[in-house]
Amino acid sequence: MAEPRPRSWPRDAWCAVVEGFPFGLAPFIILVLAVVSGGWLLLHPIRPKKTTLRLWTFADIHARAYQKAVPAFEAKHPGTTVDVQLVHGVAVTSRLRAAFWADLDVPDLVEVEISSAGTFFRGRIDDLGFIDWTPWLKQSGFYDRIVHSRFAPYTCKGRIFGLPHDVHPVMLAYNREAFRELGIDPAKLDTWDAFARAGRRVTVPGSRYMIQLSDSNASNLDPFLFQRGGGYFDADGNLTMDDAVALATVKWYIPLVAGPGRIDNDIGGRDVFTRAVESGIILSFICPDWRSKGAETHVGSMSGKMALMPLPAFAKGGRRTSTWGGTMLGITKKCRNKKLAFELARHLYLNADDLAGRFKELNILPPLRDAWRLPEFDEPRAYWSGQAIGRLYADLAEQVPPQYTSPFIRLAKAKMGEVVSSSAAYYRANGEAGFDVFVRDRLKVAADYVRTQMKRNPF
Amino acid sequence: MPRRQAIFRWQHKCAPYLFVAPFVVVFCTFGLYPLVKSLVLSFYTTSGPRSRVFVGLGNFVFLLSDADFVKAVWNTAVFAFFSVFLQLPLSLGLALLLNRKRLRGRNFFRLMFFSPRLVGMVFVAVLFVVIFQPQFGLLNRVLHAMIGLDLDTKWLANRALVMPALVLTSLWMYVGFNMIYFLAALQAVDRNLYDAARVDGANAWQQFLHVTLPGIKPVAIFVVVLSTIGSFQLFELPYLMLGNGGGPENAGLTIVMYLYQNGFETGDLGYASAIGWTLALGVLVVSLIQMKITGAWKRGD
Repeated sequence: MAEPRPRSWPRDAWCAVVEGFPFGLAPFIILVLAVVSGGWLLLHPIRPKKTTLRLWTFADIHARAYQKAVPAFEAKHPGTTVDVQLVHGVAVTSRLRAAFWADLDVPDLVEVEISSAGTFFRGRIDDLGFIDWTPWLKQSGFYDRIVHSRFAPYTCKGRIFGLPHDVHPVMLAYNREAFRELGIDPAKLDTWDAFARAGRRVTVPGSRYMIQLSDSNASNLDPFLFQRGGGYFDADGNLTMDDAVALATVKWYIPLVAGPGRIDNDIGGRDVFTRAVESGIILSFICPDWRSKGAETHVGSMSGKMALMPLPAFAKGGRRTSTWGGTMLGITKKCRNKKLAFELARHLYLNADDLAGRFKELNILPPLRDAWRLPEFDEPRAYWSGQAIGRLYADLAEQVPPQYTSPFIRLAKAKMGEVVSSSAAYYRANGEAGFDVFVRDRLKVAADYVRTQMKRNPF
Repeated sequence: MPRRQAIFRWQHKCAPYLFVAPFVVVFCTFGLYPLVKSLVLSFYTTSGPRSRVFVGLGNFVFLLSDADFVKAVWNTAVFAFFSVFLQLPLSLGLALLLNRKRLRGRNFFRLMFFSPRLVGMVFVAVLFVVIFQPQFGLLNRVLHAMIGLDLDTKWLANRALVMPALVLTSLWMYVGFNMIYFLAALQAVDRNLYDAARVDGANAWQQFLHVTLPGIKPVAIFVVVLSTIGSFQLFELPYLMLGNGGGPENAGLTIVMYLYQNGFETGDLGYASAIGWTLALGVLVVSLIQMKITGAWKRGD
């Protein structure tokens, strides 16, 4: 009989523990891991930053600009700390909504994208999560120094809940070399009819298109709708998406994106768009100020070959711009130091010198008129064939039409997208026959749906 | 001593309750309470959790006439149909193929077909958005070279092509995954039954029909029910591929997407709850019908 092997005391102790554990080795290991990891977490808690003000933004270029500007603010207000947090564009809306609902983790200031802003205005006006800027704007005099149309998207029941970050006038970006080779004179494209005629002459299906537009959603229709003085809602919050302007705009737009006379291609975004512009598949695109920076960054190889021009008008002498996109700065009701928050807003949004410097980096035209007088807006840009794009955009800024909003703005835009998509399909199949009746009917169905949802809202 | 005995008896009585207490507490907090709360909420119109107005059965009544909800139900049903009638036969076919002992490299193929499941849904969605791009997308390039398909074909921006694109993506993801279930079931079928069938003169098709199918029936029912429930819960794939709008003319809007839109974008948690309960009821009914048709409750199955 072999003698049992002698065991050392740690091994004995280990075996005793494992054998004594009621459910075997595996649960024992799980328990040990749980205790160790739990203990580690307890000993290394992530402590929330102690800051005076916390600002959420969804745009990394905004975050970078604010992080540069914050030290000067902190130096001006000793003892104050500002934490600029970058939150993803989709997440910022859902996180903010959840924060409002739960009353937890609400930032002091937050930037909200224009298409989401209206959705935060649902509910009783006194229950909204943002404070009303109107008294401060009027008292400080900034109300009259900011482009008025930019308050519209952030106004609900006569109260302004957001400070506009931008004007976002729209121009037309075009491939200057290709236009020249194809014999298109931009100076003669003063109306959309002239533009469409030129487009039909040069468009070659499959390989070259005059403009990038969409036949499946309303995002590209919007600038045209606003340019004509239309919109989704009026200043009182009434739905206007099926009025005469909307009807005329849809009927004008669809033949550009569908049927034999089509001059557009919605090629897609990012890299695909870059390749399409570089390879000459797309000759021009609607270009608000923010998109001009995107072109410089993502289609860098076109430097010196691109140029900007005011949008063609719908009638000679008509409005030569529109608007697309936007951001507001809101101060939440949970903000711990509202006076300081207003000061920070003034520092980041309403400091003319800073804004001019920021324009050089971001190409975004601020809504504060004082800033436009600074020389940065007159600097020629090599990418845009030496054009002073700051001046071009600033000259159009006062013409920018208002975009009125409502808690139902997203729904209205989605329904307009359905109108565009179904009308394009109809036009492809039937052409002009019955097109007017079809568009009227689709607009009515879409608007009726939105009105029904609005009626269900008791707040 | 009687005192110790009493304590022991009390401990004996309490022990089961103590053991199940952690589950009960967690379930009541994160399962039962939200369920009851959402049922209550479904009778209100809300703006977030605080502002609410009682509407009785108004939300459920409106659902029936809500064109977007009807569209979402239709889309979800179409997707579920293809999940069951296209995806599962393909999975079974693959499983039969890869169950052959004489097939070379069958473990490699099993891994290859299963591997898409190892990739996250977000990655798959991003990947397929690129594949479906007009002009430069891989699918259009291949189909253009093979059958002359228009390079401008917009899979995700054409209402007629959105659902095929979603189905195609889900096929890539799930065919291999469901194949594993079928493979496991096939390996559990008694080989003696095949020998007996061959002795009785059954051909390959008859063996499949009378031996294989009955043999894998419990697993097949499980996979069918699970796939159907999964299809009705479809959310991430269309949300990521089409954006939260549901695609052109809502061609890719699903019930759960619609629930999300109403609850977390519009803020009407009441209407979203009504959608949720209707969905739960719908899934229950469909599952019961499936189980009835497949004979899942028959004795011996």
